[in-house]
This record gives sequence, structure tokens and C-alpha cells, in this order.
Amino acid sequence: MTARGFAHNLRLYLIAGAVVVSFAVVAYRLVELHVLDREHYLSQIQDARHRVVPDPARRGDILDTRGDLLATTRTDITLAIDPWALPEKIEAQKFESRKAAFVTEQCAARAALAELLDMPADKVEAAFAPAWKSIPVTEDTEDEAPDGRVRVRYVKFLEGVTEEQFSRIQALHLPGKKDPVRIAGLTHERRFRRVYPHRDLAAHVLGYVNKEDVPSGGVEAYADRYLKGLSGWREIERDGKRTELAQFRQREVPADDGWGVVLSIDCAVQHIAEQEMNAIVAKFQPAKATIIVSDARTGFLLALANYPTFDLNEFGSAPLEKQRNIAAADLVEPGSTFKIVTLSGALNEGLVTPASKFDCTLDSLVYNGKPRRFMRDDHHFDHPLTLGEVISHSSNVGTAQIGMLLGERRLYDYARAFGYGERSGYPLGREEPGLLADPARWSGVDITRIPAGYSIAATPLQIHYGMGVIASGGQLLRPQIIRQVLDASGEPVYTFRPAVRRTVIAPATAETMALMLQKVASPDGTAKVAAIPGFEVAGKTGTAQKLVGGRYSERNHVGSFVGFFPASRPRVVVSVIVDDGHPPGGGTAYGAIVAAPSFRKIAEQLIQYLDIKPITTPGVTLAAFAPEGASR
Amino acid sequence: MKIHSTRAFATQIVLGSLVALGAGGSLGFAIVDLRRDISISANNARIVEQRIAETERRVAEIGGLVAAGQSPEVLEERNQTLALGLVPPAETRVVRVDISVTDRLAANRKAEIFAAETGQNLAPVRFNLGGAPR
Repeated sequence: MTARGFAHNLRLYLIAGAVVVSFAVVAYRLVELHVLDREHYLSQIQDARHRVVPDPARRGDILDTRGDLLATTRTDITLAIDPWALPEKIEAQKFESRKAAFVTEQCAARAALAELLDMPADKVEAAFAPAWKSIPVTEDTEDEAPDGRVRVRYVKFLEGVTEEQFSRIQALHLPGKKDPVRIAGLTHERRFRRVYPHRDLAAHVLGYVNKEDVPSGGVEAYADRYLKGLSGWREIERDGKRTELAQFRQREVPADDGWGVVLSIDCAVQHIAEQEMNAIVAKFQPAKATIIVSDARTGFLLALANYPTFDLNEFGSAPLEKQRNIAAADLVEPGSTFKIVTLSGALNEGLVTPASKFDCTLDSLVYNGKPRRFMRDDHHFDHPLTLGEVISHSSNVGTAQIGMLLGERRLYDYARAFGYGERSGYPLGREEPGLLADPARWSGVDITRIPAGYSIAATPLQIHYGMGVIASGGQLLRPQIIRQVLDASGEPVYTFRPAVRRTVIAPATAETMALMLQKVASPDGTAKVAAIPGFEVAGKTGTAQKLVGGRYSERNHVGSFVGFFPASRPRVVVSVIVDDGHPPGGGTAYGAIVAAPSFRKIAEQLIQYLDIKPITTPGVTLAAFAPEGASR
Repeated sequence: MKIHSTRAFATQIVLGSLVALGAGGSLGFAIVDLRRDISISANNARIVEQRIAETERRVAEIGGLVAAGQSPEVLEERNQTLALGLVPPAETRVVRVDISVTDRLAANRKAEIFAAETGQNLAPVRFNLGGAPR
């Protein structure tokens, strides 16, 4: 009994001891894993499983004034291939029968992929063909044989795959198979890509975002701080199949998507302008041309079209010359469109009245003790011209005399006040200030040239907003193009208001000028073709000879028409400037020929689209339509 | 007594170990099950997140396509391709009415009604939508 009991006790002790030792071993191993070698294993896990995944922010949309998409962001998928993935998988298979079945399945899957992508099957097969590339032997650490050859593990297969195509690739089924087949070695990369649904519409206004996600020009660059958003990131762990283990997400900073920007540009108005631009190009083959449409009361741009232009989705193939916004970056001599500055200045100073008359048959006049020779007029006038006739007949001689009355300094000051010789504040991209010399540097003949718009240079935008001074009742407005900034949920964050740069002339002067400018678009004026009955078109033609080789050319002209309507209740200002146009059948590219008809066509469509009413009760003063809610 | 107490002690160790194993195992199973549930929930949340992201991507893609389809240039092309004959309204085609529109419509209607009585051969305009039989 004792022996049995002893034996029994011994067994129990042995069992108990074994249990204690087992626990001790497990405890030691746990201590070893979790305490002693903790850092080592943690770093291994970090390397193998831990990843910081960026969460890129989606760039905000650019919308037109009605909410139509002008620029948006969508995902773009690039398919890539690891050509060695399939051979390695085949090698890993133990059984020959499985190898054969796997190869057959993969061949069928590639054929289905080729069909889905509408590509030749041999092209797909070629992309999957394993290849080697040569590298310096010293850098060959990929395998145990440093022979200067490494496997090509990445081949870009196809860019620009849509989400729909990609989901079909992911759901690729083979006949007789229940689950979708996974093509060995086919990987993908998804990234955001900027898309411009209207292609070349308002190209110079919008700008573009290049493949490095760097905005270039236009609203894209100017409003980048609003549009780009803030990218986020998250720390994740992945299993052996590279699938995220969502339960181990440690830290997460969600992306803050970019804000939307609403422009004052109206797609329909922009299209009208660009359509007319195409007609100008087809008819006159100019070197350059610009059409600008803006709201007369606020200065907001409704359309800005340039020729040459480019497709925003194909920016890479567009030469830089086409990408330049010539409305702000190119200089032209304004020609007779500048005469409104001279006349407005003289009227505003009380030096002349609409009834004042000028002898426009003179060849020269003494100014500051010296005879100054006038530029010739195209027409001979048999009677002294009134102020209204000087502008409606666009007399250089008459305008020069008015300029002499005003004097060099005041003419210069008015030109500056009208925005010439300084940047207009156009927010998008490079803008030239123009050329307007200080009177101290004027030559003897400049007082006869500058009042008529020669010997100075301005951007089309300066010319346009110069006319805008008359249309707004005497105030120079700042060109604006962004109306609102919207947050990611579409709520307005900031609304831009019209901005007045300065008051240039008195409202009464602007009213008088508007009445006189109506005569330009009358049967007696230089641009009778621009008239629209009932809509009081007021404007000014301009035809400036171009400087070619240091001399004014008789063949190359800048023809323009800048105007607004209805004169007593201005709604829109429209500028058409055609640089070096060639009228069919030859002849001079006068503003009345190359620009005024386009003004009329644009205006007729705007009347319908913007529901501009004809004037049945004339006499309403411009002052009543001064800029709305403008701020300085 | 001594033997008995030694056996009792050993038995207690074995039993204690078994209880500890059982309790530890149960706790372990409970923790594993809990973690499994957490993992499933987290994965479900991730899948939902992915679906939302995917839907947003599709919405953005379709939004872009719709915008491109509604581009004035494209609409004009379709107008030509489908021979719809739609033209933009032009001022030259518009008749501006400077009398009351109501009076003008009433006058037109009266003229239509009394045309038969006055012997004038005025026929009201009828649209034949979609080429339907009259």
C-alpha cells in the first residue's frame, strides 16, 4: 500500500512538475517574445505588415456661373504587369496537373482581358512575356548570382482605364468557373486625374493641372489654395496577401477634399464667343484674336476667348505659344478705341461740349510754340465736325486737336485713370502693364498720335475695361472671374463682390459719351454694321497699323470693335480684337470689317440668352445703373 | 496522513492547473472570439468604406461624362447628326410685341373664331407631334 502510494504520489509529483515546467517554459517563451526580443520582432512586423498609406484629397471642381462643370477630377487607373509573377507561381505548384490547369486558366484569362480591352491578344501576351534588364554588376543584389541581369518586375501596360472597365476586369469570369479569375502579375494603380469636359472651352481662363499635379495658369493656378484640398494618411497593417487588416488601423487622418470654385464665366456665353471666334478665324485667318464679354455693371467676365487656343485635355501637345492668354499677356496698339479716353477727358474737364466743332481738314497745328503735323484721316470732311461727329467718323485730326486742348499731362493722367499703362488686376496668370510713357518722354508728334491711340500699347483687357468705364457710368472696374468659393459639401464659403478701382469721369460725362458712341453704330458712323435696332449699341471701332520691322505696315492691322449695349441701361461690354486679319478679296482689315460684324452676331445671341430687353423708353441715365454692390 | 496530505497537495496542483488551463482557455477563446468579431466588424466597415469610395468615384466619372455630353459643342454636333434642325434664337427671328400680350393673343383667337363667319380662309395651326396620324 505504501509502495503503491509512493508510486502514486511520485506520478502525481511528476505530472505536477511537468505541468509547472510546461507553464514555466511557456512563461519564459512569452517573456522572451514580449520582453526580451520585443524590439526585434516588432521591427520585423513593422517592416512586413505596417504601412502608412496616403489618402490623397480630391481636387475641387471648377463650375461656371450656372453650375456646369468646367473642370472636375476623376480617378484614372493605370494597369501594370509583373511578368515574372506567373512563372514563379507555376514553379511553386507541386503537381504537374495543377500546373497545366493553372497555365490554361491564365491563358484564357489573358485572352478575355484582351477582348475586354479591345486589344490584340498577341500584344497582351507580349506584355506578359518575362524579360531581363541589365544593371551594373555592383548593383545586382537581387539574386545570388551577381551577373548584371535582373528581372523586369514592372511593365506599364495601359493608362487611362476607366472605373467601369476596371470593375469588369476585376469581375472577369471564365466559362465553368464560379469565382472571378485573378490574372497573375496584373496590378493596378489608381490616381486622380483632372478632366476638362468642355475640352478647349475657356482654355486660357481655366488653365490646367499637369501630370505631376502641378497647376499651370488660369483658375487652376490662381485658386489652387482652394482647389487642392489637404491629403490625409492612415497607418495600417496588412496580412500575407497584402489585404488590409482593418482592425489594426492605428492612426488615421482623413483627406480634406478641395473646395469648388464658381466662375463668372457662362458656358453658353463662352460658347457663343468661341463660335464667333471660329467664324473670324475661318474668314480672316488672323494671327491672333480675342473676344471678351463682361457684365457692364459689375465687371465680372462672362466670356474670354482667344485664338490660338488648345484642348485642355491634350495640354501636353499644345505649344506654349497657344497656351498664352493673349487677352492679358499681349500688347496691341489700341488705335481709335483709345479716342474715348481723349474725348472723355476733355468733356470731363469742361474743355469741350458735344456741340464743339473742329476743323478736321487741317494738316498741322501749332502746339507749345511748334507746328505739329496730324495723322491723315481716311475721309475728307467738308465741314467742321462736332464732338459727336469726331467720334462717329473717327477723325484722327479732330481727336488730336482735342488732345492738344487737354494737354499732355492731363491726357496722360486720364489714360492712366482709364487703366492704360498699369495692370488691370486680372487675377489669372501673367499680365502686361502696357506701354504708356510719361509726358516728359513724349516726342514732338506724340500729342498728335497718342490721342488717337498710337504710340501706346495696351492689352485687350485694358482696352475692354477702358470702354467699361463709359458703360459703368464713369467707374473703372476690376476684372473679376471668380464669383464664389464652395466648400466640399457645396456650401458657399466666400462670395466675391464687384470691385471699383477708381472713379474716372463723372456720370454725366459717361452718359454724354454713351450717347455719342451710339452714333458710331449708326448709318453715319464707322460701324453701322454693329447696330441692332432697339438696343442702343454704343461702341468704337479701332484700326491700328502694326509695327513691322520698326515701321507702320500698310498691310498688317489690328482691327477692333469695343462696345456695350443698351447704351442707356448697359448690360454687357463686348470687345472683338482681331490681330492681322486678312479680309477675303484683299483690302484693309478695318475694325468695321473684321470685328464689328462679330460684335453684332454675339450681341444678337446675348440679347436672347441674357433676356436683354429692347429700349422703348430712352432717356434713363447711366448713373441709375452704376455698379451693383461694388466695393473698392 | 502524511501520504494523504501529499496526495492532496499534488491533486490540488493538478486540479488547479486544469482549472487554470480551462479558465485561461475559455478566456483565450473569448478574447479570440471578441477579436474575431472586432476584425469582422472592422472589415465590414472597410468594405463599406471602399464601396462608398467606389460609388463616389463612379459618380465623379459619370458626372464628367454628363458634363461632356452637355457641352454646347457636343449638343451642336448632335443637332447636326440627328438632323434636328434646332437653331439658336436670333434677334432677327424675334417679333417684339409692343402691345399687351394678352390683348394680342385674344385678338388672334378672335380672328380664328370669327374667320368662318367673315368668310376668311384662316386655319388655326395644329402641331403634328411625332408624326402621329391626324
